[in-house]
Amino acid sequence: MNDHTLDPKREFELGMTRRQLFGRAALGIGTAALHRLLMGSGFLAPMAAMASQDTRHGGLPGIPHFAPKAKRVIYLFMNGGPSQLDLWDYKPKLHEEYDKDLPENIRMGQRLTTMTSGQARFPLAPSRYKFQKYDNGGDGVWVSELLPHTASVVNELCVVKSMWTEAINHDPAVTYIQTGSQLPGRPSLGSWASYGLGSENENLPTYVVLHSKVTRGNPDQALFARLWGSGFISSEHQGVSMRSNGDPVLYLSDPEGLDRKTRRDMLDDLAKLNQGNLNEFGDPEIAARIKQYEMAYRLQTSVPDLMDLTKEPDEVFAMYGEESRVPGTFAANCLLSRRLAERGVRFIQVFHRGWDQHGNLAGELPIQCKDVDQACAALIKDLKRTGMLDETLVIWGGEFGRTVYCQGPLSRENYGRDHHPRAFTMWMAGGGVKPGITYGQTDDYGYNLVDKDGEVITPSIDHFTPGAVHIHDLNATILNQLGVDHTKLTYRYQGRDFRLTDVHGHVVKDLLK
Amino acid sequence: MRRWWILGGAVVFVTASGTVAVSTPKPAVVKTVSFNRDVRPILSESCFKCHGFDAKEAKGNLRLNDPKDATRDRGGYRAITPGDVTKSMIMGRITTTVEEMKMPPPHSGMKPLTPEQVEILKNWIQQGAKYEPHWSFVAPKKPAFPAVKQKDWVRTGIDVFVLSRLEAVGMAPEPEADRATLLRRVSLALTGLQPMPEEIRAFVASKDPKAYEKEVERLLASPRYGEHQARAWLDAVRYGDTHGLHLDNERSIYPYRDWVVRAFNEDLPFDQFTTWQLAGDLLPKPTIDQRIATGYIRMNPTTAEGGAIEAEFLAKNTFDRVDTFSTVFLGLTVGCARCHDHKYDPISQRDYFSLYAYFNSTADAPLDGNLLTPAPVMRARSHAQQEIAERYESAMANARASLSLDEVSAWAEAKKVFVPNVGNWEVSGPYTAANFDLAHTTEFGPEPGGVEDPGKWRPLAIRRGQFVTVAGKENSAGYARTTVTSDARRDVDFRFGSDDGIRVWLNGKLVHDNKVLRGVQTPVDNVRVTLEQGTNTLVVKISNGGGGDGLVYDVGDAVSDQAARLVALKARDPKRAEAGLRDLYLTSGPETSATIAYRKAKADLDQLDSMIPFTLVAEELPVPRPAFILRRGEYNLPTVPAYRRVPTILGETPKDAPKNRLGLARWLARPDHPLFARVTVNRYWQAFFGHGIVKTAEDFGAQGDWPSNIELLDYLAVRFAETGWSQKAMHRMIVNSAAFRQRSVVSNAKRDRDPENRMISRGPRFRLEAEVLRDTALHASGLLREELGGRGFKPYQPEGLWEALGFLDSNTARYVPDIDDSIYRRSLYLFWKRTSPHPIMLTFDAPMRESCVVRRGRTNTPLQALITLNETAFVEASRVLSERVMREAKTDDDRLTLAYNLTLGRAPKPQERALLKQSLTRYRARYAEDPESARSLVTVGFAARDASLDLADHAAWTMVCSTLLNTDEFMSLQ
Repeated sequence: MNDHTLDPKREFELGMTRRQLFGRAALGIGTAALHRLLMGSGFLAPMAAMASQDTRHGGLPGIPHFAPKAKRVIYLFMNGGPSQLDLWDYKPKLHEEYDKDLPENIRMGQRLTTMTSGQARFPLAPSRYKFQKYDNGGDGVWVSELLPHTASVVNELCVVKSMWTEAINHDPAVTYIQTGSQLPGRPSLGSWASYGLGSENENLPTYVVLHSKVTRGNPDQALFARLWGSGFISSEHQGVSMRSNGDPVLYLSDPEGLDRKTRRDMLDDLAKLNQGNLNEFGDPEIAARIKQYEMAYRLQTSVPDLMDLTKEPDEVFAMYGEESRVPGTFAANCLLSRRLAERGVRFIQVFHRGWDQHGNLAGELPIQCKDVDQACAALIKDLKRTGMLDETLVIWGGEFGRTVYCQGPLSRENYGRDHHPRAFTMWMAGGGVKPGITYGQTDDYGYNLVDKDGEVITPSIDHFTPGAVHIHDLNATILNQLGVDHTKLTYRYQGRDFRLTDVHGHVVKDLLK
Repeated sequence: MRRWWILGGAVVFVTASGTVAVSTPKPAVVKTVSFNRDVRPILSESCFKCHGFDAKEAKGNLRLNDPKDATRDRGGYRAITPGDVTKSMIMGRITTTVEEMKMPPPHSGMKPLTPEQVEILKNWIQQGAKYEPHWSFVAPKKPAFPAVKQKDWVRTGIDVFVLSRLEAVGMAPEPEADRATLLRRVSLALTGLQPMPEEIRAFVASKDPKAYEKEVERLLASPRYGEHQARAWLDAVRYGDTHGLHLDNERSIYPYRDWVVRAFNEDLPFDQFTTWQLAGDLLPKPTIDQRIATGYIRMNPTTAEGGAIEAEFLAKNTFDRVDTFSTVFLGLTVGCARCHDHKYDPISQRDYFSLYAYFNSTADAPLDGNLLTPAPVMRARSHAQQEIAERYESAMANARASLSLDEVSAWAEAKKVFVPNVGNWEVSGPYTAANFDLAHTTEFGPEPGGVEDPGKWRPLAIRRGQFVTVAGKENSAGYARTTVTSDARRDVDFRFGSDDGIRVWLNGKLVHDNKVLRGVQTPVDNVRVTLEQGTNTLVVKISNGGGGDGLVYDVGDAVSDQAARLVALKARDPKRAEAGLRDLYLTSGPETSATIAYRKAKADLDQLDSMIPFTLVAEELPVPRPAFILRRGEYNLPTVPAYRRVPTILGETPKDAPKNRLGLARWLARPDHPLFARVTVNRYWQAFFGHGIVKTAEDFGAQGDWPSNIELLDYLAVRFAETGWSQKAMHRMIVNSAAFRQRSVVSNAKRDRDPENRMISRGPRFRLEAEVLRDTALHASGLLREELGGRGFKPYQPEGLWEALGFLDSNTARYVPDIDDSIYRRSLYLFWKRTSPHPIMLTFDAPMRESCVVRRGRTNTPLQALITLNETAFVEASRVLSERVMREAKTDDDRLTLAYNLTLGRAPKPQERALLKQSLTRYRARYAEDPESARSLVTVGFAARDASLDLADHAAWTMVCSTLLNTDEFMSLQ
């Protein structure tokens, strides 16, 4: 947009409105006195009036584009690439082909990571885990014995077995699914949601990130601040990590020796000093600053209240598992997610690491599953119980899948699997997705996506391929459930209107109610 | 594809039906339309996506960017007929109410044109539909000074252009700010630190009419100037102390950061500043600084993730270099053209990959090996260190020259011994295992006596002393075998280096087993074996844990062997043999005066170098890597070759310039370059006024912001070249201008007419950057430790931030804060971990430094308030500042005045004084009742507390000082 085509004052006010009054930055207007104080500065009055018409804080005018099915998202991210073949994508025929080579007509010359591209053979590794078909109210769904609790809620799940991506290494793949680009620098999914939709709670961040302890000592793969960063969008939209040790939000606590009354006195002085400067210089940024300090003061109350689990009844802990009493566990984070959801936080992302089983899958995967299984199921039940499941989209999955052929030594009991981007499984629940279905399928090797007749389909990023769900399609669908047309949520940077889904992505209607 | 003729038919229909109304003309005065100012933005926003520069996309075979195509005869009609609106098809299509005909198509998501926009297009066509090249692609010319009325306000050329703009709209500039405000403003703008009370006092009291200009000179000469100016550049080049991807290990490149500071302080002309960074290695006999500067090329984030494909990352690394180059030096985003011709700017995919070809041929490996010093690297010696080093080197050269060749030869003859003949090598593998232990111990088959499978062996040239990869995977093993011939049964020493573990068999017998995790690239394991007369078989197994793997071997006593080789070489190449023998004698010969002198100098040199950090540098491959246009930008879809040249629209490199990065640098500095100077001076303006003349500092293309004052921009750009590209001269010109010296007070009238101060109707006012906030707080308290350069420091940081993210294997997995006074250094020197930068930085809008950023945001959030209220360094600065004012002044009034001067550069106003004195009393009373709380508050941080101060008093003053450090005024340049 070129300035000379617009009335500069209007443009400026729009900017102010977006960035501050509606922005998370604004987070409401403080005490009545403060309110008057701002009104007193004259020019803010019309904008404050605009703000009061909306219970939402921040977000863009015109968004949501249509009535949202989900008010918020809880995204359970399994970092490293969980093995779909040992959890969801049941391939019984593989047992007959144990240690045989993956047929060339299946692999079709697809590229491999250099961890296995030099392997002389690609021996097939059937899953050592038992699968059982569970009633999901429809065709039923096969679930591995490693996920007994999740299996108990399959009637709420929409299991997508035909996820795919192009990236074959962790850093690019996880950056891709989180930001829509394999190279760093773009805003993350949650920050897009914050930017477009704003918050429903002025006293908490719009986008909250929770990191989970991993029972296995070494979680293998790393995370990066860019995964919840805001890229070129204003930094107020970056995810805020809530931590289980130290301050739950960085620097939340007053220094030792400074009580609340002293803090209040100090902030009152500060407001007066700032007001003096505002009177002299007339810069609206000063008014905004005054509000930020009030908001900070309120955060200091609202966050401890959020983190205080003492009022949760014992049966809730029983549901999530006893480890949910231990702050920072995945189970505790799932419980916390429900509490964040209750408080209107827009986007909650729980990270759990350690899903990168190149070898010793039998030694590691059960521990990984034990970390998350019960809590995942409990979260679904809890949201259902509290009536929030319908309006909360829950997502579970990682950045890619794992190969059907073995990496390293193969036995019936143990094996390793390399990265497999061409087919993997994720699930969604609530938030307007169809419960109790599975979508998409793979060939007998779990290697290629196939259609209903078992014919291999070759999905392309350039157009929608029924039966296949590219990560851009997933992201388009998530935004759709939030009432956002992914092609219209854009940010102009370097002369280009960027979107989360780049120039790709299609809403997968078949997954939706 | 829909054809234009179909559309043409439709238009006839539309016309016939009478629904085309080419916008009811308003009785407004028809102004002369400027294509660039008025028309291009409309076409760019609403038309070019489908009818623009991307030839492949051109819908309906129409390209509105191209006047020829837009006005050509399409069989009886034209898209645009200059001078005739009714015969210009586009007007009908834009204004029709028929949904299927409407442009832009309603389903495209683009907004229909507003009546004003339609009017502009109509007027433009009526006035002859003249196209102009985009303003920023035309070289700037020095504009004539416009006439202005308020001549006495003008101090510099800048002011004429600013004033002319203001007078044109009937506004007047603000008077000069008061001196105290001015000194604080210019000190923060030039050095990133506030002035100290004595400096303010002297300046305010000075009668010298040139007092301000003298202060400017003092600040420009301060080493703090370079430290502050370097910051924005480091954002642009995405400087970090770690690789940035995956493992995110440390990399040693801070000598580059220190060079940037030095370059600003020494006012290295910007054309050279650019050339050294882009192509210092290609200059004749490059100096150490010129090579350090090429760290710019190496700055892209890199990875060595297990499984990564080299070719893929060669492409990704190069993309990043091209994108950074064009954003920083051209102010253009060419990234779009990676996949297809640019839609809005005349940058084709061929242009993109022609630039790519400049950057894909450096000698660094595409994968960084997770190393601190991935080659090529050099020791970043300072000038002084270089002089000392040269003294040692000349001593070594003298010693060498003094040797008698006869003496050396005789020694070598006596020294040479038998070296067995090692045959050709074969390798087998990799054999993957679950972990390193298993990789090392599992017998995968190629062990001697194992099942012989000739198909599993492949030849590999392994030369003595040369490190080669055998396994190639993590948690895997590889085997290498060869034959060794001996003239008799005799003992021989083999030496092996391995990454990681190694086993060796001779004639089927295990002779060496070292299960070790290491990355040894020199032969260090000595293995004495007994060779049989004739042929012996040697089998080596390498077991690898993480990262790369490798094997290196040597045989025989190294010196004897070398001597034998050199003696044998004499016949073929006496010169090389002689040089080699001298070297060998100097390092390994008997002690003589020459060898003693040599070894002493060498040891001194080594010791000197051991204290000097390595830095990553760029080196060009002798033969450029071929570059190709990559279909859709995919590394594995090369199409036709791409050759080095600059984007067509931007002219060409000088005729005599080499076709490499050096030629590219010379092209940038051409006086007629349309972008280089403009983009740079715009960033300076942004730094001093808070926003650029072109607000989109990263985009000067068609979608970018129209300059708020193009004459001013061009004036600065031309002046920049005229001053010999002196950055200091430009900064001096800006801060000496009356425009910069205005009061920053905003009147209601100006807030309405110039809300963002784009017309510079007042002085600058904006929140300070993250680094400056932290530094000024430390400076106020006196804690700031000023020392130029060096390895990044690690200040206070909440526990667990890195641990929550990082790889256990990464050498930046754990954050270990420094525990000496380096934690009080300037924020420029923060250790920058790119996957988890310091939270103060991120919260106050610093970028991650993973990609190029030339314009930081300026948010205003509660999380920022929490930092300045509660973060350890800020609380510590408050309580140490309070110690300072209590020590240096005695009465409450004097202390308050001092505290204000140290933080805000002025005395408190009466009502401020009254307010804070009242609070002081209240805090004192409260803390007197609670000495333990007082003690807690006044002992935050490492700094020792002045124990003589009364606890309650100290705590009360701490609260007051913290209040000052949290004022918007403290956080702002105003």
